Amino acid sequence: MATTTPTKTKKMAMHEALNQALREEMLRDPQVLVLGEEVGLYNGVHYVTRGLYSEFGPERVMDTPISEESFVGVGVGMALMGYRPVVEMMRMDFSLRAMDQIYNHMAKIHYMSGGDLKVPMVLRGPEGPGPNPGLTAQHGQQLTLLFAHCPGLRVVTPSNQYDAKGMLKAAIRCDDPVVFLEPGPLNNKQGDVGEDDYLVPLDQAEIRREGTDVTLIGYGASVALCLQAARELERSGVSAAVVDMRSLRPLDMAPAYASVERTNRAVVVEYAWQSYGPGAEIVARLMRDAFWNLEAPVLRVSGKETPLPYAANLEELSKPQVEEIVSAAQQTLK
Amino acid sequence: MSTSSEPVISDRVAESPEKLRTLLRRMMTIREFEHLGEREFRNGLIRGYYHSYAGQEAVGVGFIEAMDLTRDYIVDHYRDHGHCLAVGLDAVNIYAELFGRRAGVSKGKGGSMHMYNQEKHFLGGDGIVGGGISVATGVGLALKRMGKGGLCVCFFGDGALDTGTFHESLNMASLWDVPIVYICINNQFSMGTRLDRHSSLTQLVDRAAGYGMATEQIDGQDIGVTLAAAERIFAGVRERQRPVFIEALTYRYQGHGIHDKPHNYRTPEEEDPWIHRDPLLILGQRLIEEKIMTGEQIEAMRQEVAAELEAKVEAAKQSPAPEDRELYEDVTL
Repeated sequence: MATTTPTKTKKMAMHEALNQALREEMLRDPQVLVLGEEVGLYNGVHYVTRGLYSEFGPERVMDTPISEESFVGVGVGMALMGYRPVVEMMRMDFSLRAMDQIYNHMAKIHYMSGGDLKVPMVLRGPEGPGPNPGLTAQHGQQLTLLFAHCPGLRVVTPSNQYDAKGMLKAAIRCDDPVVFLEPGPLNNKQGDVGEDDYLVPLDQAEIRREGTDVTLIGYGASVALCLQAARELERSGVSAAVVDMRSLRPLDMAPAYASVERTNRAVVVEYAWQSYGPGAEIVARLMRDAFWNLEAPVLRVSGKETPLPYAANLEELSKPQVEEIVSAAQQTLK
Repeated sequence: MSTSSEPVISDRVAESPEKLRTLLRRMMTIREFEHLGEREFRNGLIRGYYHSYAGQEAVGVGFIEAMDLTRDYIVDHYRDHGHCLAVGLDAVNIYAELFGRRAGVSKGKGGSMHMYNQEKHFLGGDGIVGGGISVATGVGLALKRMGKGGLCVCFFGDGALDTGTFHESLNMASLWDVPIVYICINNQFSMGTRLDRHSSLTQLVDRAAGYGMATEQIDGQDIGVTLAAAERIFAGVRERQRPVFIEALTYRYQGHGIHDKPHNYRTPEEEDPWIHRDPLLILGQRLIEEKIMTGEQIEAMRQEVAAELEAKVEAAKQSPAPEDRELYEDVTL
């Protein structure tokens, strides 16, 4: 997909970057529409759809009943007819209600029809513990794996505000169904965003920081943790590279391989539960394709394997910690 | 249009003799198609599942005949061979799909339950009970936005009324004034579970009535009835831009799939009255009574149709299997 580099940037929250992406795409293409719970009159629970209802009206910004399975199905049906629906999950946790539509319809109709039909839709929403604290066990889960496991879907997650805008625009223009996972912890965080019309590719990982001693590999909200850990490691004389996977399906391993070729060590970092998670796939591919470049076992730092607890101290403990990443990186260097 | 559960038995439509002959031939084609399909299933040429449409022909043929497929769309479920034939897909391509061949409707990658054809406005084929109802609702909403007077027809069975998505979808369709006709083909069984054992209310129109849309129960055995009802109902939906729920009473001759044994869960005695009201028999008798065809001519037509379909089976067998590389085509990896 062609990309352009914006000339001017402006600081804004990730939800504002996403909002810009939606607005620009809706202005550009009348087939783009938004539907979901509280996306319209309420203005979007996480502000991503703010102002769209008053600008584009109820036909293009549709408030739905709390019927996740069926409004995802409505999105699939409209996509089959040539519209480009962007379906919002208020929290990605609620997509569990819609898994039949996501797995059996959105992901598979193109293949099952022998390529005759296309489903150009985006399913988007926040995942993980944030933006606000205290989301607890049914509202702050990181279910990335469930989507990334399913052939037929593209699954992407931006790690910063700039990518959030460019990737959402690319997702809307993509003819494949895209699951666009917004890192909840970053929703309200500020960063530089291009002011004009630009796209960020949906299938390319990116090296965020060069380093020579160890490669920290993350995606979504965990990239910020990796960058923070890299700065701390630098103080103790360790040069850490950071790779942002950006897309989990397809998984672009080339930048990680290139970095590991230089560092010979890697730590995979994610908010998701560790067992069977996307990190396990990344490690498996490193074993297969980068084995002879590795001088230490690849280590992992993940969300703790419990439901997300409520108490502030337990909630904090349950997330991957910068100190854990620093410690794991040092361990690979022993 | 009735909004109560009272069965509405419409007058048979006065169709031309030519039209009636065509309708009989189409229903015969479906019946014979399924006979030969079952044979090939038992021969091992068709794998997986086989859901036969035999017995339900008057529903699909009647409603699809009344559609305007230049602007209307269909979303179906897994008992879809008969509807594929009724929209005009060639039996060669349907058999080829069942045989897993390249000439198949879905290039051999979908199978019995997953036939799709954009050109014929046939959007599946769905293997999940009730799985297409919300998709159909989205298609209907898209048609409303497109403003060309098109409507969506969604076919499903009585078992689909027990899924949550049925109720979610009807709620949205009514809320948003979607031009869609939900056709419940009540064949009396949700897999092997009879209507009175799976549904709290056995008048299924009553289960749809809570969404503020018109509902109607019709005799699904008599194509004169289904066609007349379809023409009247479609005209109303186009005009009013409102959804309608239809319960067409019919009967599934085979088990849920042809591999199951229906006499585990029903008796030959309860099948009898339905077999005596066979849709092909009803139209055949009418043709004889109205002196349009003789019994011998009907039988000759059946033989002709069967011979044509045998040739289609053979043609489908000639299609090669998909190439190995096609495994990875039409999918994001």
